[in-house]
Order: sequence, then C-alpha cells, then structure tokens
Amino acid sequence: MTDKKKKVIQKKLPREVYNALKNVVGEQWIYEQRSVVETYSKLSIEGGSFIKKHDKDPHVLPACVVLPSSTKETQAIVKICNRYQVPFIPFTNGQVFCNPTNEQPTLIIHFSRMNSIIRIDTQNMCATLEPYVDYGQLQAEAMKRGLWNGGTPLATTICKLASQFAFAGLWQTDLKYGLFSRNIVSVKMVLPDGEILTTGSRSISRAGDFWEYGPGPDLLGLQRSGLGTNGIVTEITVKLHAWVGDETFPDIPAGRPSLFDVHDAKYDNPPAPLKNHKLFWIEFENFETQIKAMREIAHSGIAIGLNAPGVYSAFYCSQTQAMTVERCEKKFFPDWNCYVILAGTTSEKQISYEEKVLRQIIDEVGGTFLSETHKPEVLEALKPWNYDCIRHSTGYRMNRKFYANAWLPVGPLDSAFICQREWQKALDMFGECDITDRGGADDTPFVYALQRGHFCLFETDNYPDPVLPDDIRKAQGYGLYGAFTIPKNDMGPMLMAFTNVEPFTSMTPEAGPNCKILMRKLRKVFDPNSVAAPGRQVFTEDEWQQFPTEIKEALNKMRSLNDMPPVEY
Amino acid sequence: MTYYEKKPEKKFFEKTLDDYRDSVWGCARCNWCQNQWGWNVKSAEFSEICPAFHEYRIFPYSGMGKMHMARALLEGDFSYEDAPEMVQFLYTCTTCGACEMNCQRIQDKEPLQVNETLRAKFVSDGIGPMPEHKRLIKSVKNYDNPWMQPRAQRDRWARKIGIKDISKEKADTLYFVGCTSSFDNTLWKVAQNTAKIMMHGGADLGILGKNENCCGSPLARIGDRETFVQIAKKNIELLNTCGAKEIVTFCPGCYRALMHDYKEIPGVPPLEAKVYHSAEYIDSMIQEGKIKIPGELKKRVTWHDPCHLGRHCGIYEPPRNILKAIPGIELVEMERIKDQSWCCGGGGGARTAFMEFAQKTAHKRISEAQKTGAQAIVTSCPFCEQNIGDALNKSDDGMEIYDLTDMLIRVLDL
Repeated sequence: MTDKKKKVIQKKLPREVYNALKNVVGEQWIYEQRSVVETYSKLSIEGGSFIKKHDKDPHVLPACVVLPSSTKETQAIVKICNRYQVPFIPFTNGQVFCNPTNEQPTLIIHFSRMNSIIRIDTQNMCATLEPYVDYGQLQAEAMKRGLWNGGTPLATTICKLASQFAFAGLWQTDLKYGLFSRNIVSVKMVLPDGEILTTGSRSISRAGDFWEYGPGPDLLGLQRSGLGTNGIVTEITVKLHAWVGDETFPDIPAGRPSLFDVHDAKYDNPPAPLKNHKLFWIEFENFETQIKAMREIAHSGIAIGLNAPGVYSAFYCSQTQAMTVERCEKKFFPDWNCYVILAGTTSEKQISYEEKVLRQIIDEVGGTFLSETHKPEVLEALKPWNYDCIRHSTGYRMNRKFYANAWLPVGPLDSAFICQREWQKALDMFGECDITDRGGADDTPFVYALQRGHFCLFETDNYPDPVLPDDIRKAQGYGLYGAFTIPKNDMGPMLMAFTNVEPFTSMTPEAGPNCKILMRKLRKVFDPNSVAAPGRQVFTEDEWQQFPTEIKEALNKMRSLNDMPPVEY
Repeated sequence: MTYYEKKPEKKFFEKTLDDYRDSVWGCARCNWCQNQWGWNVKSAEFSEICPAFHEYRIFPYSGMGKMHMARALLEGDFSYEDAPEMVQFLYTCTTCGACEMNCQRIQDKEPLQVNETLRAKFVSDGIGPMPEHKRLIKSVKNYDNPWMQPRAQRDRWARKIGIKDISKEKADTLYFVGCTSSFDNTLWKVAQNTAKIMMHGGADLGILGKNENCCGSPLARIGDRETFVQIAKKNIELLNTCGAKEIVTFCPGCYRALMHDYKEIPGVPPLEAKVYHSAEYIDSMIQEGKIKIPGELKKRVTWHDPCHLGRHCGIYEPPRNILKAIPGIELVEMERIKDQSWCCGGGGGARTAFMEFAQKTAHKRISEAQKTGAQAIVTSCPFCEQNIGDALNKSDDGMEIYDLTDMLIRVLDL
C-alpha cells in the first residue's frame, strides 16, 4: 500500500545544463519549482500516468520546464539536450501522451509562447502557424477571409494543430476533407539532433507553400504521425478551403450564463445550423441498417461529415454529470443513429440536391429522421452539435468520469461489427468500469466515416474513477486486451497515428512490423543520443532491452489470451 | 467517495480541499480554463481568457494548474516548504471566474472554487495570503474597511446629496455603497450619481452611513474565511434589522457577497431584503417609465463587463439596456463579452499584491476596446474603474473610462 504521506521528489537537471538553458531563453522562461513541474506531470486520458500518481512514482515529474520563443531557441535547447544527453518532451496542452516517465531528469519544452499565426495566404489557400496556435484561432481568422481549415477536431477547438501533426487529426468533416494529416502543406521541424528540417515546396527558396511531397522523398510523410519521436514542429503550414458560412458565429438565442446558472440547458442550445449548412440526425432500427446507410451515404459523394456518436451524445450534450448518467441509463438518445453535415459550397442548390439524395438513401435503406414529429425532445437536446459539428467546443466534454484506455481502431465500415462484438467480450471478461458507457456493446460505438467512407474509425472507451487505482487498472486491462484483439481480428491499427505507441509498437508486430523496423532505424539516424520523446512511438534497441521484463511477460500473457504467439525479447 | 455517490450538501465556506478530491483528480487537462469558449472566438488575438496564464504562459497560473497543484498538495506529494512559489500562483488569480465558467460547461468541475479553497487553506495554515493582503485584512478588522480609513469618513461622499441615514430615518431601500467608493474620493462622484439617479426615479433611499461595514468580499476572495464569516454575520444582523425591504449596491464585489456568498455560510439566517445591483435597479426604473431621459449624449462607447457582476452574477443586459436608452450613445461591443469577458485585472486581490500584472491586464482590455473604435469604456465597478483608469492615465491611448451612472447623469440634468 502506498504511503499517503510520502512526498514525490523531482530530479533536477545538472546546474551546467540548467544554466545553458537559461542562457538560451532567459531566467523568466525556465522553471524547476516543484509546483510548476507538477502541472506538467499528469495527463487526462492515459490510465498509466494516474496509476503512477497513485503509486507516488517520481519519474512522472519532469525536472524542468523551458519555454522557447522561436525555432532558433528551440534548436538551441535541443542541441543542449544532445550535448548533455538530457531527454526532452515537446508539450502544448499536454492532454495526450506527454508524460515524462523517465528515470533520467527530463526536460519539458512548452510552446505556449509560440502562439502566432505567421501568415494566411488567401491566394494559395494556406496558413502558416506556430506550434501553440489552435483550431479556434485559425478558424476565426480564416472565416473572416472566406476560408476555413476544413475540419474541427474530434477533441476541441483548442487542440494545437502542430500537436495534431503528431497524430493524424480526426475531424468532424473527415468525410469530405480527410484527416488533418492530409491537410498539411509543410512543416519546419527541429530534429532530435538539433538540425532543422523543412519539408515540401517550402524547402525551395522562394517557391512558397503549395506542394507537400518532396523534393525527393516525401519527408513530410515520414514525419507525419510521429508522436514527437522524430522532432519538434515549430512551424506548420496547413491547407485552407472555401468557407460558406458567416464571418463569425451567431450568438446563442437564450443569452449567456453566469456561474450560478451555467448548467441550464438553454445556454447550451445554439441557433439552427450555420448559414449554408444543414445537419440531419437519423435513427435506425439496428446496427446493420445504420452501417449500411452510412456506407451508402459515404459512397454517394454527398455531405462533408458523416459520423455516428451513439451513446456519446449523452456526454457531449448533457450539462451535468448527473444528467449524463440519467440519459445513459434511460437510453434517452437512440442506440443507432448518425448525423450528416451538408454544406452548400458550390451553389445554392447544392444542399437541396444533397438532401434529396440523402432522403432517397434513407428511404431505400430504412431509417427515420429526427424531426419536430419524431423525437423532437432528442433533436432539441442534440443542439450543441449545431455549432460543434463545425466548430467543436463541447467536444471532449468530460461530463463523465475520466477517460482512459480507449479502443480506436480503423477499418472498413464492416469492422464496426467486429469492434462491437469484441467490446462485448471485453465487457464480459473485465466487467464494466462505468454504467454510463456500453461503448457500442449494445449500441453504436462512435463511428467516423473517413475520406468518402474508404475507411472508418470506431471508438469505444472506459471511464474509470480516477480516485480509484483498481478501477483504472481495470480500464488498462481493456486497453491491453484491445491492443491485441484488434490486430488479431485484422482490423486497422489502434489510434489515429496509424502506428502504435510503445510498448505496443514492439509487442504487436502484427500491427506493422515494417513500421517498427523503419521507425527504429530512423530514430537511430535522427536521434543518435536517444533524447527525443523517449519511449513514445518506438523504443530504441537500448530502451527495448531496458523495458521491464515483467511487463513484457504480462503483455505476452494478454497475447496468449488472444491466441497469439508470444513476442520474443 | 466517487463522483456518482451522493455527496452531503455542504456550503462553500465550510468546504475543505478534501471535498474537491474527485474534482482535482478528474481534471482532464482540456485547457478550456485558459481559452474563450469555442463559439465565442472572433480572432486569434483575443482568443484567450485567463489573464494570468496569458501573461506568464505556464500552467500553474491557469485553473487547470491549480487543480493539479491542489491534487498533489492534498495527496501529500509535496508540502508548502517544497513549493513556496505556490502562494504567488494562487494570488495572481483575479478570481474572474472564466476558468470555472468554461470548466463547468465542459467538465462540471470548479477550478475557481478549488483556488479559493486552496487560498483558505493557505490562510488557515499561516502560509497565505500575500503580505499586501495581510495589511488589508488588518484594516478590515480595525476600521471595517480594507483601505485603512477612519470609520467617521465613510459617509463624507453623501454630505451634499440629502440622502437619509437609515439608522435615524426609515427608508424602503437601502443603498449599500461599499468601501471603495465610500473612501476613494475619486469615486465619490459615482456613489453620488448612483444615489441621485435612484432618488430621481422615486426610490425611498437610505444609507447606513458610518454604520456600514465592509461586505467582506475581499476577505472571502483572498481566503480569510474566519474574518469573512464574522463580518457577514454582523452584516446580516444589521441588514435584517435596518427595516429596508430591498438593498441596492453598485459594487459588484458587494453584490456577489450579499447575493451569493452570504448564502454559502453555514448556520446563518438569510438576508430578508431583496438584493439588486444598481444597474438592474435603474434599468427597471427606465423600463417602468420612472426615469425619463430628456437629454442626448453623442458618444461611441463600449461596455466592459465586470467579472463579479457579469460572469459571477449574470447581470449582462441591464447596463447595456441603460446605455442603449441614452439618445446619442452608440454601443459597440468588444470581442470578449458577457460570460467570456476579459477581466480588467483588478479583482481577487491581484491588484493589491501584483500591481504590474493588474495593469498589464488592464492594458490588454484597453487595446481590445480600442479595436471597436469606441471613445470610452463604460463599466460599473469601482475596481475595474480604478484599474483600467490607472492604466489609461499612464498611457496615451486617448480613451476614457466612465461609470455607467456618469453617462446617465449627464442626460438627466440632475
């Protein structure tokens, strides 16, 4: 049992390293106070870091936080890290895999000072951003110019685009625009050894930002979804698309809340879908019909977004935790449903034409539109999506316990059935973490139709109680089980990064042996001192050898539960 | 105890950090505590909402940072001695409540309440508040006001306006003036204007005069709960026996204290009189035709929502209605308004302890106001007026700041 009184003491950087870093950024922008490093040490959605907090593991604490203001300063910091062999972790919001878990003193490089939109090129429809610029900022500036970035993240508008480069960037409107990773023109990166890499046409003097491939090999492709392993993005140029809505969003008709009535649902109900956009909700009798309809809609070429949130609407659209629970228990939102976002980007008649096609598909396949005559109370409750499908702000709403160890496989639409079936098995095996999420076991897992339905993402989640370590361990069990179940069932890899994170990269060779081999070799070249984002996407040989044998054994046990042969180590 | 187990209802001023254990463990690091609500963002420049994070750029200054520090402190991961810098992080917060507004919307958690509870713990453990706040507390204890002013001076502002002293003469409506405008002679005009306008509208108005005490709000905000509760009890007794049916105040700090904070003290009777902010009181008088506006004032102005009036108490429209009712006034809005308003920097004890930070925050608000093309910022809070006013005095911005009643009095010819 953990000693409640035990203090967790951070490691410090050697003074010569600290002083070298201080000389780069100035005393004001380097911190190693205990309370400061605490705020850079815990995550939101990774169960492991919570367990470590409960266990009072000091390795979750960084040694120091440094805030550069430019690519040049970032480069200088990285060079110092190489010189003194200090591991570093780039950090923006710190919501995902940013937890230092090293025995060595680790440096956090926080990019909150690099928060400018460097330029918006309306002629060539692209924007160049510093790493701390978020979707909300970019959308606001782009909309004024009749442009937008083409997507709102699965999470929220305050996601930093440069961070999403580390993943793949799942959007509400992936059906039309594809993942964020397909909407990048170029990046400027500080590589793990301190070299600066510029990709795409921008690397040619005065050529400008228009072409992401080459010159020579597609370096952007190599770096995309690298989870920080291959360096730090200090500038990113993203594609922009035509925007047909207003310059700003309309106000909420009910006015604004105060701290004392913020949970009143009326303040969560934005006006009807935006100018030149329409949002349709459709309920289905069963999962098979839903998936069939989604396939038909995706392949028809209409709509900019097509997603099925299932029970997640209860989280997104409920104003309190209590309301979330009640709506889940009473199955307030239909089990089988999807929403379709239409946009009139080409002509005034586009939406009416697409609506006709949509209604014909639903007529043929089966399904009922939510309307004033069919479940109007549900349609009313779904109103936050009127904005959120375009500008996601309540997304990632945490009106639930914390969120950990999700299954996020990709695959063709039919994979939804496998995901659902396997999740049910996991529920039977581990028991539920939380009554609020059946995670698709008997309703819709969250399904995102991507790139005209060529593939989809299916999400099922756990919501353990963060205060209870055993509950978190159960959620970790789900995560581990899923990591092996998904490749076993020949589904696409977990996570949006399309490769895994360690130790799964090494322990699930079924999910991409080529990737693992290539990444390890790349890392050897780019990161000769093994200092960048240690243990993140792919271990170095040394890290792999040092990774605890007992964990490897446990993971092999989980493999055997899935009738998979053990991985040799 | 977990989220879904029924918690015993506790009032805010009896809660300890342990009552927020679920909340601080459950912070999802979503970072909405630092940013404008997505629907509200109109530009990259004005997309942030936490003044302290905006200035210092590290997480301990944000609502999220406070949650994480509170968790670690609560679980014994570090102690005060390990982190003496924490006091500064806690007290740089202006208690503007923007973090809590957005967190409540997305996560149903309470970073501002956590910060105020942390402050209370620091005070009770002898670690806080800042030295500047200690002087303020001492002043409230000794003089019944935070500004070290003698009690006898409290009603000097009222000498020439012929208002009743409610301890001598009965009145239906008590005007609770508040310490700042009672003692700061640059704000006397506001106190006087407010009284004159309400009396012009027919209010049977009285004041407590020298018997008025500090409402206790500054103490509640900086974490001296013990003194706050003592003062509140004394005030509740005084206000419940003064005979007034309604209480009007123009100070948002007093308004929040009377309207909400007193209700959060365990074991005290409720205030019997109905509490109004002067903006809503005067707005009603205009709507009901009790105040007619004969004059005209040609001015392009922008309204600054005081945090403790707007975000904390939901008074957004009445002051705007008043401005719109004045012929010639053109009201132009800033980008960050109402529940997403940018704080002036003057609240929560931040101005008292961190003047430079408070002034920088005010300058950012002025810069936002200038983008509207307004000639003046109008507000209704003595702290906002002081803080923004000081920033304007030190700059060549060419902008002015007025209290709402300054605008109205000019067209009423009183």
